Amino acid sequence: MDTFIAALSMSMSWSTLVASVFGAAVGLIFGAIPGLTYSMALAMVLPITFTMSHEPAIAMLLATYIGGMTGGAVSAILIGVPGTPSAAATVIDGEHMAKQGKASIAVGIATIAGCIGGILSLVVMMSSVDALARVAISFGPAEITALVVFGLSTICGLAGGSLVKGLIGGVIGLMLMNIGQDPIDGVPRFTFGTTTMLQGVDLLVAMIGLFAVPHVVTVLGTYWRGKEMRIEAGDVRTELPSLRLLFAQKWNLLRSSLIGTVVGAIPGTGGPIAAFLAYDQARRWSKHPERFGKGEVSGVVAPEASNHAVTGGAMIPLIGLGIPGDPATAIILGGLLIHGIQPGPLLFMEKPDVIMSIYLLFVLAYLITAVIQLFGVRVFVKALRVPPHLMALGIMVMCVVGSFAIRNSLFDVGVMCTVGFVAYWLIKGGIPVTPILLGLVLGPTLERESRTALIMSEGSPSIFVDSYTGLLFWGLAALILIGQVITIVRSKPAASAAGKS
Amino acid sequence: MTYQIDPRTTLRPTTAAAVAALVLAVAVSGPARAEFPEKTIEMTTLFGGPAQTTSQVLADLMSKAIGQPVITVSRPGGGGAIGYTYIHSAAPDGYNIVFSSNSISTVYWQGKLPFNYAELAPIAQTGVEVPVLAVRADAGWKTLKDLQKAAKESGKKLRVGVSGLGSFTHLASAALFDRLDIPVVYIPYGEGRAPAELLGGRIDAALQWSSQFAPHVKAGTIDVLCMTSKEKVKLAVETETCDSQGATGLDLTIWRGLHAPKGTPPEVIAKLQDAAKSAVASPDYAKAADNLGFTPLYKSAADFGSMIAESDKEIGQLMTKLGINKVSK
Repeated sequence: MDTFIAALSMSMSWSTLVASVFGAAVGLIFGAIPGLTYSMALAMVLPITFTMSHEPAIAMLLATYIGGMTGGAVSAILIGVPGTPSAAATVIDGEHMAKQGKASIAVGIATIAGCIGGILSLVVMMSSVDALARVAISFGPAEITALVVFGLSTICGLAGGSLVKGLIGGVIGLMLMNIGQDPIDGVPRFTFGTTTMLQGVDLLVAMIGLFAVPHVVTVLGTYWRGKEMRIEAGDVRTELPSLRLLFAQKWNLLRSSLIGTVVGAIPGTGGPIAAFLAYDQARRWSKHPERFGKGEVSGVVAPEASNHAVTGGAMIPLIGLGIPGDPATAIILGGLLIHGIQPGPLLFMEKPDVIMSIYLLFVLAYLITAVIQLFGVRVFVKALRVPPHLMALGIMVMCVVGSFAIRNSLFDVGVMCTVGFVAYWLIKGGIPVTPILLGLVLGPTLERESRTALIMSEGSPSIFVDSYTGLLFWGLAALILIGQVITIVRSKPAASAAGKS
Repeated sequence: MTYQIDPRTTLRPTTAAAVAALVLAVAVSGPARAEFPEKTIEMTTLFGGPAQTTSQVLADLMSKAIGQPVITVSRPGGGGAIGYTYIHSAAPDGYNIVFSSNSISTVYWQGKLPFNYAELAPIAQTGVEVPVLAVRADAGWKTLKDLQKAAKESGKKLRVGVSGLGSFTHLASAALFDRLDIPVVYIPYGEGRAPAELLGGRIDAALQWSSQFAPHVKAGTIDVLCMTSKEKVKLAVETETCDSQGATGLDLTIWRGLHAPKGTPPEVIAKLQDAAKSAVASPDYAKAADNLGFTPLYKSAADFGSMIAESDKEIGQLMTKLGINKVSK
């Protein structure tokens, strides 16, 4: 208790509050703009923290991380372009909610779901950091491969009308990520002998192209043909979700947060996988799976609760073992180290007050982010009142700047445009975008982990089924696949019968 | 739908006049060529993680010494090739510099870079990093000899975690285990994951930076056996040199420093070098080095250049031996 009070008095000073507000605001802005990510926001605020004492420094880094995660949902819902890869699953239903005039409810519930997911993940972390850290390190390359294959199986649920077209999308996504330097041997692939193409296709760049360009082309095309543009949701109400709406989501919130915490704890995975898994599970457990993809509230709650829970999950190996799971937590680790805080098992024994203040600052960051975001909803939804063709131009400018800024590379702007125009024609051909994105997100992890596993076993594939964890995820993936095949076989006779009548 | 131009957004005559006056003022004071630096200097960084944090600390301290902001810009990819290529083609005016390391040799000999270190101008060395060899504590190997004996008796290949195939940690491991005559499988992980894999029991040893292992050494779950430099240096964990432990002659360390495009005027290089020198000498840098796990070391442009030439030759030979030299000289 003494530690708690000491930590509380250290964490709740004006300087930490100001640092948290600043961090959350920077994070929200970076998160909301496609192409600017919370990793970039973190890298930017890190030097500011060098001269601070350690509480405000930690407060600012955590708030930036969390703000960035939350900001991603804003653009996902309002303009249908995810601000961060973690918010990609939020687009599916969020965009439809906005079109139905429920943008403010969608942003509101995404924020609250995120806040609850994040704080739940912290509770899980506090209660079982040791056990979860052990679970996290039991995931080696072979187990992560199985987990990723399970993640890919969600294509079945995301494919929409035609499974074949969904699979085509998934394969296109996987293939795109092969461009550039092979992650293991460093062999250049499809680079035509140029150094520029060694950088390959960046996930964020491809994501921006995939979501933003087709939208912009469609809107401008309609405007050019002189058609009357309906200002989507012209009477945007700024109402926040009711408590009843929230309460109806309690199981979804809990399930999604747990998925996010566990996935976040495994180094080398991250937000996008967690969000898609949670979305797929929410659809499977729902009483109305047919409403998903058409503006279902649960379809916004699940990915947002889950990707925010990843933040707490990622803290488990970071604080518990000193192992960062992704680039963002690697920067936070750098920030902690520079202030002389070495995360790891000893930190719990030697400096319990630091651990406690990290927990408190984590909660503080969530509350501040949620408050800023909920106040911001009023401003954000005004964006929907801008005529669509003008908005489209704004989006395009933002996307060009964003895709350049990721690696300060003009090559990426070209990639963004190319991917975008190809995506436009694919969509016209009925290929859904989400499976392509899933391929993009999971492809590099799948390749890196499966090949590392095979190097480890000296080429023997038995390593993939050597552990129970691995077997579990292979089994789950197989179940989903078999279920899907049964559904197709059953619906075929019915469909052909309907065709005859 | 028509749009009217809002008069408030157009320049008013008074504003326009003020702007014109300002432009004139700048133009008049312009001709006397200002001394370097008169604007922000951009430091390209090639990697994320601790290396990026180190570059940010260095840039921060150099800003104070040189009187203009030095900012870091991340240009990752291709194992460093993307950033080096950018600097190679940047204007040689001193406003574009790169936080370099011996990755310039590894990417060149891997055939990923069409030019080598000689195509960039050295500014100064700012530090050195010494990797260490770590094993799980419950393996019971207290010295390099224990590991050697156990590996030979088992008859199985030793599984060693490195940062990537062809990376510096891979080369250093190869040089080490070659001297010990132990057959090894190298398992490439990204930065930072090797301790988790070691703790998870999936690899037998890992060659990485000492700061990654420090908390686990204190917790008693990981033992560090030796460091790859010939001279003993102060690290986050106390250990002997591999050289003294049976890997005679092993001396491999990573240098970090700054490079500019070739053709950058010598007086500009000298200014940057002096800024780097005072940054490296500052107590803030020493503190950051302690916390992040590297060793501050300053070398002047000339000394730095001749050191790199030697180190590059050595890396080339090592890679030929490993069969991953794609340039071969």
